[in-house]
Amino acid sequence: MASSRAAGTFLPQRVQARIKQLAVYVTAILVSIFVTIPVYVMVAIAVQSPADVFAGGQVHLLPDAVTLRNFRVLIEETSTVQYFTNSVIVTASSTVLSTSLAVAAGYGLTRFDFRGKTLAARAVLFSYMFSPIVLAIPLYVIFYSLGLLNSYFALTMALTAISAPFAIWLMWQYFQTVPIALEESAWVKGAGRWRTVWDVVLPVAQPGYISAAIFSFAVAWNDFTMARVVMSQDEMYTITVGASLFLDRVSIGWGETMAVSLLVCIPPFLIALFLQNYLLQGFSVGGLE
Amino acid sequence: MARPIHLQAVDKEYRTAGNTHVAVDDLTLDIPEGSFTTVVGPSGCGKTTTLRMVAGLETPTDGQIHFGEEEVTDKPPQERNVGMVFQSIALYPHMTVRENIGYALKVKGVDKETRNRRIEEAAEVLQITEQLDKKPAELSGGQQQRVALGSAFVQDPDVLLLDEPMSDLDAKLKAELRVEIQRLHKEMDATVVYVTHDQTEAMTMSDYVVLLNDGELEQFAPPGELFDQPVSEYVARFIGTPSTNVLDCTVERTADGLALTGHGLSVPVPDSLADHEGRRVKLGVRPQYLSPRSGDHELRVTAEVIEQLGTEHVVHGRTADGTPVDVVSEAVADVDPGDEFVVGFDRRRVFVFDEDGDAIALGEGETEDVTPR
Repeated sequence: MASSRAAGTFLPQRVQARIKQLAVYVTAILVSIFVTIPVYVMVAIAVQSPADVFAGGQVHLLPDAVTLRNFRVLIEETSTVQYFTNSVIVTASSTVLSTSLAVAAGYGLTRFDFRGKTLAARAVLFSYMFSPIVLAIPLYVIFYSLGLLNSYFALTMALTAISAPFAIWLMWQYFQTVPIALEESAWVKGAGRWRTVWDVVLPVAQPGYISAAIFSFAVAWNDFTMARVVMSQDEMYTITVGASLFLDRVSIGWGETMAVSLLVCIPPFLIALFLQNYLLQGFSVGGLE
Repeated sequence: MARPIHLQAVDKEYRTAGNTHVAVDDLTLDIPEGSFTTVVGPSGCGKTTTLRMVAGLETPTDGQIHFGEEEVTDKPPQERNVGMVFQSIALYPHMTVRENIGYALKVKGVDKETRNRRIEEAAEVLQITEQLDKKPAELSGGQQQRVALGSAFVQDPDVLLLDEPMSDLDAKLKAELRVEIQRLHKEMDATVVYVTHDQTEAMTMSDYVVLLNDGELEQFAPPGELFDQPVSEYVARFIGTPSTNVLDCTVERTADGLALTGHGLSVPVPDSLADHEGRRVKLGVRPQYLSPRSGDHELRVTAEVIEQLGTEHVVHGRTADGTPVDVVSEAVADVDPGDEFVVGFDRRRVFVFDEDGDAIALGEGETEDVTPR
């Protein structure tokens, strides 16, 4: 038996492999239970009429009849469409802004030497440690004094303030893996700095900035704090804030709330579905695999 | 059109956190137009920095660089018409081989038809026609290197710079590409500067060799001259494998005139060494010039390790006082480790270095042959 053991271990390698496999399965099963069941409950309640769900005094989780009634109520009786549009607008703007900042900062931090570079990099990482609520009140004061409350611009800025530090850090890490020889080779071939950025740097950094964009998207789309603080008019609410207020109304019940939750889940789900490879590539470079 | 490269008293210093590191120190070189010049030296001797200054990727701290009559010291790399192959190959992973090779032409605004024609010509020369529509990641290391050569070749540079392009390849591919690079040099009208730490590459490929030592020029000469007339012990030891044997001797006046004595030897030297009488000097002799059954002067060596290189054998041994001596010969096949044997050499094959390592007599003994450094 001793011969099948690797140096420094007490268990044969085959046993180790089996234990490892078992551990992976147990973890996977636990995670799926805690993730899948709530999602299933959400979907089950969203596609049944409220009368069916609570029929017989118990929550009915195996739908007999599927209906879109809850979604119809949302569209006809609430501002869900407006909220959703608001969310899309600020999320898109903030994602574009945050990613552009991250690419510019990451390129600058890895390609140029300037005074205070290390300090700047540390400050970026430090600012990532603030909880959004810490920033929320000062930002409210700023936007209030500038008369910018209830504007897409203000919320875009606020969301970018939360997502940019991590996005910058991610791009900074990513650019460190892009060999500078690629750029030098383009310079020698006659391409100027901008042309090189366009032809060589951006295509090569694509997995990096897609990861940064996905991260910024997730921060902006799921944000509640900033939207709650910056937006105080009903027609400016984002979907997260809007949906959280539904339950306060007499006409809206659990069915509609679960339906709006389902709607909130669709964009992140689509992104995860189509861009998962990029996400893994980018984060594995950032040492977060 | 090939252009000569002149470096005039070029210095390059790097300053980091209060420390100044001198990478290249007062380097003056005149690399002839159209030649194949190899810059060689151990790691950290400044050879890549020199190449990067010629490319325009680094600016000298002091001194000037000219291509022909034109001063290029402060010109950006984009304006020098230089082709460069990097150590890391540096192919664009998102472009096909065709796009990689044609990138320089695209930047210059060459129309697509001409571009394709020239890409295909280059691919033909380098035998990568079938790889043109693949991505670099799908190619083997040797093919990637050919593509990198192609992309430098196609832009028709005045100066082609190669920065250790073969350091990651296996021995067989190296031998193949060595021939390929020389063939390419004949086909193009460019001055080639090739950086390597491998003295075999330097000796086999080049018209001229630049040997650097800690940022300073040690010797700039054709390979044969470097081998037979090294200006210093450093050159003699660096060029040639195994390294030149160096034996400590003393210059003494004997009945027959001046001679080097030590290790049981008495090697007559010309009177030009009279200044060194009574001083310690070093006698250098290449392992290839030591042979068991010939020579005017004989040395007793105890064999330690024997390596077979095809028909020849390399014997690593020591003299009585422990100085290492290597012998390369076909006639040492019967020597076993532990054996003591006698090797001889000709007086004409000897180098003499002073205590600082500068050559004071070479071969026949004429100091006039020694190029001052």
